Amino acid sequence: MLRNALTLTAAVAALLTPVLSSDPARADDYPSRPIEVIATFGAGGGADLMARQFARLAEPHLRVAMPVVNVSGASGNAGLTRVLTNPADGYTVGTLIALSVSSWASGLGTAKPDDFVYVAMMQNSPSMLYVSKNSPFKTYEEFAAHAKANPGKLRVATSGYGTQDDITLKYLGSQGVPVTNVPFARPSERYASPIGGHTDAIYEEPGDVAQFLKSGDLRPIVVFDKQRHPSFPDVPASAELGLDIGDLPNFRTLAVPAGTPPERVQKLHEAAAKVLASPEWKTFCADTFTCVDTLVTPDQAKEEVKAFYETVKGYLDRFATKTVGQTPG
Amino acid sequence: MDILANLAGGFAGALDPYNFVFLVSGLMLGVVAGALPGISFVNAMAIALPFTYLLPPVTAMSFLGGIYVGGVFGGSISSILINIPGTPASLPSCWDGYPMTRKGLSSRALSIAITASAFGGLASALLLTFGAPPFASFALKFDQPEFFAATILGLVSVIAIAKDAPLMSALSMFLGLLIGTVGVDPMYGMPRLTLGVPDLESGINFTVVMIGLFAIGEVVDLICKRAGGGRSITTKPGKQVGLSDLWRVKSSILRGTGLGCTIGVIPGAGATVGAVIAYSVEKQACGKGDRFGTGMEEGLAAPEAAKNATTGTAMIPLLTLGIPGSAATAIMLAAMLIHGLNPGPLLFTSNTTLVYTIFASMLIANLLMIVAAMGVARVFSTLMRVPPAILGAFIIVLSVVGAYGVRNNLFDVYVCLAFGIVGYFMKRTNFPPAPLVVGVILGPLCERYFLTSLANYEGNMAVFFTRPISGTILALSAIFLAWSMWPAVKPLLRRPPNDPTHGDPAAKEPPRRVLKA
Repeated sequence: MLRNALTLTAAVAALLTPVLSSDPARADDYPSRPIEVIATFGAGGGADLMARQFARLAEPHLRVAMPVVNVSGASGNAGLTRVLTNPADGYTVGTLIALSVSSWASGLGTAKPDDFVYVAMMQNSPSMLYVSKNSPFKTYEEFAAHAKANPGKLRVATSGYGTQDDITLKYLGSQGVPVTNVPFARPSERYASPIGGHTDAIYEEPGDVAQFLKSGDLRPIVVFDKQRHPSFPDVPASAELGLDIGDLPNFRTLAVPAGTPPERVQKLHEAAAKVLASPEWKTFCADTFTCVDTLVTPDQAKEEVKAFYETVKGYLDRFATKTVGQTPG
Repeated sequence: MDILANLAGGFAGALDPYNFVFLVSGLMLGVVAGALPGISFVNAMAIALPFTYLLPPVTAMSFLGGIYVGGVFGGSISSILINIPGTPASLPSCWDGYPMTRKGLSSRALSIAITASAFGGLASALLLTFGAPPFASFALKFDQPEFFAATILGLVSVIAIAKDAPLMSALSMFLGLLIGTVGVDPMYGMPRLTLGVPDLESGINFTVVMIGLFAIGEVVDLICKRAGGGRSITTKPGKQVGLSDLWRVKSSILRGTGLGCTIGVIPGAGATVGAVIAYSVEKQACGKGDRFGTGMEEGLAAPEAAKNATTGTAMIPLLTLGIPGSAATAIMLAAMLIHGLNPGPLLFTSNTTLVYTIFASMLIANLLMIVAAMGVARVFSTLMRVPPAILGAFIIVLSVVGAYGVRNNLFDVYVCLAFGIVGYFMKRTNFPPAPLVVGVILGPLCERYFLTSLANYEGNMAVFFTRPISGTILALSAIFLAWSMWPAVKPLLRRPPNDPTHGDPAAKEPPRRVLKA
């Protein structure tokens, strides 16, 4: 038993060593060792693709390796906890996306917008409502008219309750377009459901369903934004239809813990700016409909994140009575 | 024959020396990773993913396909040789595979497993090549109620296959379901049973539980019993199987293949569910069900065939619809997206060569697997001669690394060690751990499918029974449950209640199996 215990201790110790011994590098030669990029969602998702593209394109500028590690779970909060518990020395960068911020607003996790410094606003995209190619609804007006006539009969596939998706549908409900929220935790099942005819529409950002848009399996009917999306000039913006719900964008930032030395944040920001300006990134963001037009400074990014947090909190308070205790269906 | 011409082009692509080398190395890597307890093929694919960005798309997909095919089989090597499943899908291979090793038939068990797996994989890859579009529309017919019914069948199967008292298995499975509810709930985002520990918000990962219960629990038990010297298991190489032996289990292989191909196409189900259901169906179908668990070749061949038969068909929703059904196919999707390939119907017209090269690679990988797996299995067989203390230490190191690698989370290592202690006591008290693991895997899926079904069908419970596919699967589950509970219920019905002369039924009819290892 004793020998066994020793073996165990040795095994755990061997594993802990590289984690615990983070050697504080001198500020002047930063970065002098690999920078860990934490993708806060699983392989293949939007945050993961962003982290991998960024790491690949930023490596030549920072001249160190940038391994991407997926730490998924709890709406990205598992990975963000990892970012916050690592030393604030600029050697750990995490993806921080709108979904995680709205999860804080709904009471999940312990992080707050002020716990992070936002290196850069990498991607931004509005969400849209899509129907399948065989859907009888050609326009949002037809969809809304049917929903008005048949309250709750139209089913919209979303990512869950208490999310931006849910808020938007509740807003539509408050505007006389009552639809049923059908949450799918797995993106693949969410996309399959309208295509297979099991739900009537799906709420998602265009980049995540790009292949279905290209193949024509899904058809956008409204973009939830103040103006039309340049890639979808024929799809009306919610503002044109008199819907005041264009303030829930899906942004993706890169973040480091608050307290990271400003000159290191600046170096990371400069590298991110070069990445954003590169033709490879421009192709990537055009393919995923997530291009950010103007470079956002870390301070501006923090303001945007805080404003988003307050917006979500405001909506959640507004629809609170309908969220608590609601049972599916 | 457009498809054959395309396939010929695909074979030319797959056999291109550069692609071929990567296919073979992926295959070897997959078999080894699968065979190492704690390291699954999903880990191996995730580790290989950044590397594939540097390769041309066709080579990258061959490489990942090789790891996938090899890894799904590889897990069985450690299941059969040391009773520790290398991957969750190899859990059922322990049940009759390891007893064969105990009888000194390890080589025989391995060659049956390899040929059954290769057959299942090959059949599945052929289905992928020739039947992808119709199978894809079949997959789309499945909605949440059908997924729910399939997970119920999986849960019931685990009771039906119980070698131990079915009630104990049911209890173990419910414990697993309870563990599966830990974390933030998938619908409302409410933390459940997290005890205020932030790390528990992400839930308890089933691979971590499995590594703890089986690998660490088994090793602790092994070392406590035989600390120091001696061989862990004295095994004779055993007779190699000939074609005539395989012919005897042909129906088991065919049944397993059929089930595996069907289950593989359902998003979310995958190799583990396929193998568990195939084992329980086989136990009923082959007529020797009462001797399952003692080293029956049928009980090994069916789940082996089923497990690899999911590999080809799991690629169908990925390639035709862009919908990954499992963690492994999600990694393939990531690789394709990074290379600018959008899986979906357009892929077949815009990248015909690539698609058919993937098909050809899957076919070749399954054939080559026989050779590759035999080689790796031979090396692993020598591990049997390593003293248990050294082998045990090695397995514990791998388990800790594997538990960490699942989500790159140190907390998972503590969870794994805790389940190791639980696993040791379960082994000592003869409490079956396998149903618990299946409960942890299927519980969260089952819950999500149930809730989403209700949300989608106006909270109407009848939907599970009135939809034809889901109703049929649920009826099958009910029959399975009745069949498996009957031996436990029968004596209670026959005997008048409170009869002191008969006593405890468990004492009278000891179905207890010999303590393993």
